[in-house]
Amino acid sequence: MIYGDKNLGVIVQNITGKQGTFHTELMNAYAREVGGCGVVAGVAPGKAGREVHGVPVYNTVKEALREHDATASVVFVPAGAAGDSIMEAAHAGIELAVVITEHIPVHDVMKATAYAKLHDCTVIGPNCPGLLSPGECKLGIMPAHLARRGNVGVVSRSGTLTYEVVDELTRAGIGQSTIVGIGGDPVIGQTFVDVLARFDEDPHTKAVVVIGEVGGNLEEEGVRSTDLPVVTYIAGVSAPPEKRMGHAGAIIEGGEGDARSKVRRLRARNIPVASRPSEIPGLIREVL
Amino acid sequence: MKLLEYEAKRVFAEYGIPVPKGVVIRAPEEVAAHLPDLGDGVVLKAQVDVGGRGKAGGVLFADAKTAVETARELFSREIKGVPVGEILAEERLPIEHEYYVSIAVDRSSRQPVVLFADAGGVEIEKMAEEDESAVRRVIVSPLLSDIPPFLMRELLGGAPEELAPVINSLYHVFQGKDAMLAEINPLVTTARGVYAADAKLIVDDNALARQGITVNRDLSEREREAEKHGFSYVELDGSIGVIGNGAGLTMSTLDLIEFYNGRAANFLDVGGGADQERVMHAVKLVASMPGVNVIVVNLLGGITRCDEVAKGIIAAGVAPTVIVRMAGTNEEEGRRLLAECGYRMLDSMDTAVKAAMEVSP
Repeated sequence: MIYGDKNLGVIVQNITGKQGTFHTELMNAYAREVGGCGVVAGVAPGKAGREVHGVPVYNTVKEALREHDATASVVFVPAGAAGDSIMEAAHAGIELAVVITEHIPVHDVMKATAYAKLHDCTVIGPNCPGLLSPGECKLGIMPAHLARRGNVGVVSRSGTLTYEVVDELTRAGIGQSTIVGIGGDPVIGQTFVDVLARFDEDPHTKAVVVIGEVGGNLEEEGVRSTDLPVVTYIAGVSAPPEKRMGHAGAIIEGGEGDARSKVRRLRARNIPVASRPSEIPGLIREVL
Repeated sequence: MKLLEYEAKRVFAEYGIPVPKGVVIRAPEEVAAHLPDLGDGVVLKAQVDVGGRGKAGGVLFADAKTAVETARELFSREIKGVPVGEILAEERLPIEHEYYVSIAVDRSSRQPVVLFADAGGVEIEKMAEEDESAVRRVIVSPLLSDIPPFLMRELLGGAPEELAPVINSLYHVFQGKDAMLAEINPLVTTARGVYAADAKLIVDDNALARQGITVNRDLSEREREAEKHGFSYVELDGSIGVIGNGAGLTMSTLDLIEFYNGRAANFLDVGGGADQERVMHAVKLVASMPGVNVIVVNLLGGITRCDEVAKGIIAAGVAPTVIVRMAGTNEEEGRRLLAECGYRMLDSMDTAVKAAMEVSP
C-alpha cells in the first residue's frame, strides 16, 4: 500500500454536501469492514456541532484537527471554493489531500498545489476518484467491492476507467496493492511519476497498470521513471482532433499528446500497451 | 474558449500592452472612414478561429487607395472553410524586429511556463524542432504576481530590455483572465516602441463564468445544449449512440466500437454524480440524433449511483434499443429496476459493444 494504511485518520471537507455525506458513509463502511480508522471528522463552514452518519462536523480544518487525530483529507468542496479548501487543509497540517471535485479552474489548482507543496502536503487530484488500498483504506469514491487485495498497482487519469480495469483484474484473479486515480485535468497534484515512485518503494507492488488518455505526455514521463514492470492502456485513439472529450485534459493539443502517437511511442520503448481494457489482465500475467 | 484576435487585443490593451491602432469592420466600405486614422499602410486580418490563418490567405496588406477593394476581396474568401464575417483593419507597423512570447500551463511542473524566442512570426514548434536553443523557457511560481527580474533576464537573453514590461503585463493577463494560453507572435519592436502585432488568448472553460463569459463559442449549438444539462457531448458520424460516465470510460467505449469496426454516432459523458433527471436528458438527446437505432450505456458507479441511472433510462423511454452495462455503487438496485422493465443488460463492455454491433453493424 502507498499513501496510507488502516491507521490513516481522515477528515472530509464539505461533509454536509450530498456527495460528502453519501461517500463518508461508504468510506466508513469500508473502514469498519477492514478494521481501519476511516473518517473521524468533517468540515463545513458554519455547520459546526452537526453530525453526519455519526461523524462530528467542524467549521474549519484547524478546529477538526484540534479534536481529532487525522493526517488526510478528502475534498468534496464545490469547484469555486475547492482551491481555497486545499490550501486550508495544507495550512492546518494535513499531509495528504485527495480532491474529488471536478471543474476547478486550472489557475486555482496551480496556486493550491504550489501552496500545498510549501506546507509539505501531498495533493491527489483534482477531478479524481481518490485512492484505495484493498484491505487497508479507502479515500474517495471508488466502488470498493470491485477490488481485491494483491500485488498489482493501478494508476489512472480516468475515474471510471479505473473501476473498469480493476474489475477486469479482479475477475481474472489478479489483486491490487493500491489503486490511485490521479485525475484527468491538465494540472494535477500527483502525476504518474510521483505515484510510480511510491510504487517503486512499496514492497507489496510487483507490477503496475498505467491508464492514460489523450493530452500531454505524463504517461511517458511516468513509464520512463520506474523500474517496475508496467502495462499501459491509453483511452481516446478514436477521439477526433480539436474535440473536447469530457475531461479538460482530454483534448488533443495541436497534434501533441494524441492517443495514437502516444501508443506508438510506448510500444517503441517495448512497453506493453493494451488495445482494450479486457486485454490488461493477460498482459499483466506476462510481466509478473 | 479561444478569443478572436481583436477580443484578445482589447484585453491586452486593458492590461497596458501596446497594440496597433485598429478597427473591426463588418462590410468593406466601413474601412474608408477609418483610413485617416490608420495611416497609409493597412493590414486586413480575417477574424476567423482557424490556425495558420496567414498562410491560408486570411491576412492581406493594402494602402489607402486599395483598402476598400482588398477588404471586399477578403470578405468574399473562406479561410479553411470558414466564411469571413469580421475583419480587423490595423495600421501597418514599421517593424524593426519580431520576437515570440507565450505563457501556457505546464502539466509536468504544474506551473505557468513562459516561452520566448528571438525570432517571431513563425511556428514555434517548428522553430524548437530545428534549433532547441532558439526557444528559451522559464517556469514561474503561480504564487508570484510578477515574473521576477532574474527570470526575465534568463528569458530575454540578449533581447532588448524594453520587452520586459510587456512580457510581465502578458503574465498579468494570463493570471487575471484564467488563461490556458496567452501568446504574442510576433511581438515587435519599432522606432516608437514595442507592440503586440498579433494576440492569442485561450480562457479556461472552467473559469468562463467568473470571467463573465456566458456562451462558449468553441462548442456547437447541440453541444452547448448538452452542456446546460451538465454533460459533455460530441457528435460523430456513426450509428451507435454512446453514453458513459467519465471521459475515460466513454472514450474507451468509442475506442472499443472502433476496435470491432463499428462506428459511434456520438459521445456523451454524463459526468460525475449524474442523477435520474440528467441521465434521462442524456438518453433522450442521444436518441434524438437521426440514424441512431441502438444506444450503449456503459456505466461504472463511483460517485454516480446505478439506481439513479436506471431510473433515468426508464424515464427516458426512447424508441432505440438501449443496451446497458452497469457496475459499481448501488449496482444491485439499478439492475433490479432495469430488469423489471425488460432492459437488456450485459456484464462487460466488450459484450455490450458486441451486442450493439448486432443491432447496428
